[in-house]
Amino acid sequence: MALAIKRLSSIPKQQLAILAVPVSHKYQNIQVRHAQVSAPPPQTKTKFGGLSDQDRIFTNLYGRHDWRLKGALKRGDWYKTKEILDKGVDWILNEMKASGLRGRGGAGFPTGMKWSFMNKPSDGRPKYLVVNADEGEPGTCKDREIMRHDPHKLIEGCLIAGKAMGARAAYIYIRGEFYNEASNMQIAIAEAYQAGLIGKNACNSGYDFDVFMHRGAGAYICGEETALIESLEGKQGKPRLKPPFPADVGVFGCPTTVSNVETVAVAPTICRRGGIWFAGFGRTRNSGTKLFNISGHVNNPCTVEEEMSIPLKELIERHCGGVRGGWDNLLGIIPGGSSTPIIPKDVCAEALMDFDGLVACQTSLGTAAIIVMDKSTDVIKAIARLISFYKHESCGQCTPCREGVSWMNKIMTRFVSGNARPEEIDMLWEVSKQIEGHSICALGDGAAWPVQGLIRHFRPVIEKRMKDFEQREALKN
Amino acid sequence: MLRVPLTRAICLTHSSRVLVTASARLQSNIPAKAPEKVEVFIDDQPVMVAPGTTVLQAAAQIGVEIPRFCYHERLAVAGNCRMCLVEVEKSPKPVAACAMPVMKGWRIKTNSEMTRKAREGVMEFLLANHPLDCPICDQGGECDLQDQAMVFGSDRSRFTDIDHAGKRAVEDKDIGPLVKTIMTRCIHCTRCIRFASEIAGVDDFGTTGRGNEMQVGTYVEKLFLTELSGNVIDLCPVGALTNKPYSFSARPWEVRKIDSIDVLDALGSNIVVSTRTGEVLRILPRENEDINEEWLSDKSRFACDGLKRQRLITPMLRKPNGELEAVEWETALIGVAQAVQNAGDKVAAVAGSLVDAEQLIAVKDLLNRLGSELLCTEQKFPTADGTSGTDFRSNYLLNSSIAACEEADLVLLVGTNPRYEAPLLNTRLRKGYVHKEQDIALIGPKVDLSYRYEHLGNSSSIVQDIASGKHPFAQRLKSAKRPLVIVGANALSRSDGKAFLAGLHSFANQLTPEDKNWKVWNVLQTNASQVAALDMGYKAGVEEIVAAGPKVLFLLGADGGAINKDNIPKDCFVVYLGHHGDNGAPLAHAILPGAAYTEKQATYVNTEGRAQQTLVAITPPGMARDDWKIIRALSEVIGTSLPYDNLDEIRDRLEDVAPHLVRYGRLEENNFYAQAAQLAKLQASSLQGDIDVKQRTLADFFMTDSISRASPTMAKCVQAVKKAQATA
Amino acid sequence: MMAGMLRRLPKSVVSLKWYQNSVSAYSSDALKQKEAPIVDNSVILDDKEMKEREKLTHLVNLPKEKTLASINGVPEEHVKDRRVRIFIPAKNAMQSGTNNLNTWRIEFDNRERWENPLMGWSSSADPLSNMSGVVEFNTKEEAINHCEKNGWKWLVSSEERKKKERVKNYGVNFSWDKRTRVSTK
Repeated sequence: MALAIKRLSSIPKQQLAILAVPVSHKYQNIQVRHAQVSAPPPQTKTKFGGLSDQDRIFTNLYGRHDWRLKGALKRGDWYKTKEILDKGVDWILNEMKASGLRGRGGAGFPTGMKWSFMNKPSDGRPKYLVVNADEGEPGTCKDREIMRHDPHKLIEGCLIAGKAMGARAAYIYIRGEFYNEASNMQIAIAEAYQAGLIGKNACNSGYDFDVFMHRGAGAYICGEETALIESLEGKQGKPRLKPPFPADVGVFGCPTTVSNVETVAVAPTICRRGGIWFAGFGRTRNSGTKLFNISGHVNNPCTVEEEMSIPLKELIERHCGGVRGGWDNLLGIIPGGSSTPIIPKDVCAEALMDFDGLVACQTSLGTAAIIVMDKSTDVIKAIARLISFYKHESCGQCTPCREGVSWMNKIMTRFVSGNARPEEIDMLWEVSKQIEGHSICALGDGAAWPVQGLIRHFRPVIEKRMKDFEQREALKN
Repeated sequence: MLRVPLTRAICLTHSSRVLVTASARLQSNIPAKAPEKVEVFIDDQPVMVAPGTTVLQAAAQIGVEIPRFCYHERLAVAGNCRMCLVEVEKSPKPVAACAMPVMKGWRIKTNSEMTRKAREGVMEFLLANHPLDCPICDQGGECDLQDQAMVFGSDRSRFTDIDHAGKRAVEDKDIGPLVKTIMTRCIHCTRCIRFASEIAGVDDFGTTGRGNEMQVGTYVEKLFLTELSGNVIDLCPVGALTNKPYSFSARPWEVRKIDSIDVLDALGSNIVVSTRTGEVLRILPRENEDINEEWLSDKSRFACDGLKRQRLITPMLRKPNGELEAVEWETALIGVAQAVQNAGDKVAAVAGSLVDAEQLIAVKDLLNRLGSELLCTEQKFPTADGTSGTDFRSNYLLNSSIAACEEADLVLLVGTNPRYEAPLLNTRLRKGYVHKEQDIALIGPKVDLSYRYEHLGNSSSIVQDIASGKHPFAQRLKSAKRPLVIVGANALSRSDGKAFLAGLHSFANQLTPEDKNWKVWNVLQTNASQVAALDMGYKAGVEEIVAAGPKVLFLLGADGGAINKDNIPKDCFVVYLGHHGDNGAPLAHAILPGAAYTEKQATYVNTEGRAQQTLVAITPPGMARDDWKIIRALSEVIGTSLPYDNLDEIRDRLEDVAPHLVRYGRLEENNFYAQAAQLAKLQASSLQGDIDVKQRTLADFFMTDSISRASPTMAKCVQAVKKAQATA
Repeated sequence: MMAGMLRRLPKSVVSLKWYQNSVSAYSSDALKQKEAPIVDNSVILDDKEMKEREKLTHLVNLPKEKTLASINGVPEEHVKDRRVRIFIPAKNAMQSGTNNLNTWRIEFDNRERWENPLMGWSSSADPLSNMSGVVEFNTKEEAINHCEKNGWKWLVSSEERKKKERVKNYGVNFSWDKRTRVSTK
């Protein structure tokens, strides 16, 4: 998913807890606002999963109902939006902070905090909300469902998020290949304008807010937030360095927040049902519900909304009819979209599907796009295919990613056939470490991690392949 | 400028204090005072820097040089080569030193394990697809990649290629006759792209493709149509862009480098002349913040092959049958001396565009001793009746100095095309335009200046309107804080140049810039010799000589065509003293071969009045000699020996005439503005007709003097540009 | 190697033992070995020799104004007619390194060079040309001293460069209302 490549690593988990407190204090000082963020409730719940139907946010995920304005109104979208807006910026931000919602694009940055960064006193520049709908991460297919079947959730979310950060307009940057999604979105935006829900005096709240849609041209890297901004400005989608962060210099040089579709789309429901309700799901600091996309060797691949912190095994068994050929036929799972490291079966059995739970497994939640591989999979080939994807999608701007990923690709191609020496596994590890953290954006990291995951858990497989190859060659001669 | 990036507001580690001050400032709207310096530690050495300073700059302050490829201090920050990654304590990842502003208390480690690992990794990646054809690469020996690979790279390669897939190979681009491209060597630092779009103002370069297939180029093949294209050769840290005329001719360690001064325009750019075995191989710019920064125009850089062609290498005398015959120096000097002795005081001299101060003073002294005052420059400059418009230096200088041009907030260009008359002045104006919100207006033909400007028209009546304050632009100039009026020397050489000078100069004097010392009135000269000649009392323009009808006329490299067969008496004995057989030589009855600017230690004064000296890079070819020495020898044959025998003595003489001529590298203050304007005011007449400039397009830029006209490279450039313009 | 030698030795215990002893004496205990005494032969020196030795222990002081021109054998024309330029080398425009720009150099005026017909090398009749740009001085005063000592006329032709301070900011590339905004990458 678009933001998935804006990796976790940019904010190491340990720092988050430390940071959250001083930053919020700071904002209280400046803005003379007593946004007393309710502390996350102490962890009492021990069992997660099995979200009940009345707690689902995305009620038309499977497109069984009308996706247009009429149907959306029936499902409760746009219900008393004006009142939410009238409650003011602080209230919305406070609810978002209370909900403990973390960005659904992959990096998992606390949304309330991110939006509050935009509430600096204006220096004359307009502010913008950019919705990252460039869902390109292999395995991820959640935003497209939202945009195709529940576009009004996103538009309403834009309005509320825009209000919270004082944005003048929202740009929805949608992946170019999403034709149906884009046309549904466009129709929904037109409907919302006609109904006076957005545009001048949106929802009669006195707040002017426009929503624009921009279709990408098929580059994975444009899902990285600064590359997306560049692309939106009409330039090549090549990431910018940070600082300056988009909240200072973003799209068209103005303060901007880039948020994932899912993050924005859950905002109205959080505001309606309260942050505390949302925080009630999942473990502390990993709260909420989440769209999980399960693909690969399961009996029933699907996208499903579930509670955070649901055990991986339970998720697969409950919603996907289990792994093809039974749990014991499982080889490994990539739990968060193609850029997260693969975990083998024994780790999968214990893994909890949330940010902290997967970091504990040396992988990450990413976009919660679960790619299941059973024992029929050639795992080396699978990872090699991912690397070739990253090689193709590297923007070429910075050296480590441009040169390193294509080098890794060359090595991985040889690993598939086993035409390599065992020392090269260590070399590949080092090469991936030379890329990780040295590139401008997180694509380099995202390309390095699958390889690291492979080496970490499947080294014997690679070595065996090499030995087999050697023996075959020896027999030939 | 966003000196204090608000980015820090959300930077996660050391933000709280900065955010408060930044927002407080925004709220209160008080102009920011000089920001307090912050302390950072580079390798445990404390250093105080202004906030917003990058890590790389902070390190440079204590002499720690962080390796870099894409970073260049005169170009925008790109941050894409990743060579400058350094460790910052408590940061999990290394940071790009070139783009990262320092924060208070940061401890930066430029030589830690993590830093060295990062560098080695980047270097390995850069070399993975670099062809390593150093033995046949022209950059070899002065290549940043080579040097840095030696210092920061690994000592062995891990790159195995058992599939024989090869390294990346990229097709070479044809971007013109000056810059050779070997794109396989490119490391994608994008310096050339940034130079083209920021400095040259030609947005032709860019990257196409992505990932490992990314290429730097023009996409559709086209000429790199700019007068500054040679600078990308210098900027390129590898051998992807090299000097086409110089290709395969020498290695940097076998050439001798002599610091010198360029004379092909009036700016006096600082150059380094590379020579081997008595031959000028190439010319490179030399850094001088006050003049050329570190750029050089293509003419100055590539016209050096003109120094080997069309040279006058032996003295010649015209035989009675009209043919020129090569003779010994003795014969030639005696021939000229006889003509001079027969002429009495009807001797005159015209100085061309490349004449040095030593030669000018020697000729002047000689003619004065012979009783003649007929010393003129080829290019006209308005003079008052009875007095001279050139009596005050401030009348004909670029008073505000070249470097200050970028500080102006409103510039009026009159009758000049700085882009081709003085390319490096134009880069200053462009710099002001881009970085300092400078506004520029032009009176004259509509030309491409590489930045946007307001075109006021090309009628000279506009000048009159501005001078009288009627034109709306006059009001803008009056309200500007640092206005500049830059008038082209060619506009002033019109027959109504007086009115130009009088009108604009007195108008410029009425302006009230914020700073009392700010100089509004500027003349952009086009000839390297003009200022020195006027300083010494040469009269501008040849009318007086034409009127006087001299019997002996010295042409000091005068090839501009002001003197021709028809405007001198039939029996006039013309002596041509110069280095190229150009327009002036065919007129001559005697030819005395002189030295070109790379062959003598000589003084030139640039358009801002700064005296600089060239140094001997090679010796003059054949029997050619230092020009002032020729005059000195001639004076002895004539019987009026000039009182100087060596360079020191003639420079003493120069100092007697005008002390600033030997204060090399310094800029002298001129402060006779009011009087100068009074003088100039005397004769205001009406202006008529349109204003034109000599060099309108790039094709007009390359061949403007005897050296560049003799250069085959320049000829190729003209051809290429014309072809490109025809197909465009 | 050593092991091989040991193996080839006759299996006589005595000789092997001798061999091992000698090895240990040379390799491990060398530092502990007693050294031969240093003989102080001053006792046998006479007064004159002692004074001579005394002299040698001091630094040699040369009079400051002493010129070497008269004794160093450089032909007079080079001393009288030539001028030495004292300068800091200019940064090579082709490279970004600055490490060699901190010392002062001297350079003689350039004389004629020609291509040697034998090998195509550059020939010169100037014996001092190879001093150009090679000798380094920390300060210009040192260089001036050196020139004066040799009786050369000198000229200081560059000044200590002051680095111009520049504001470098990555953000201006994307600034919303500035002309520094870049159009491409």
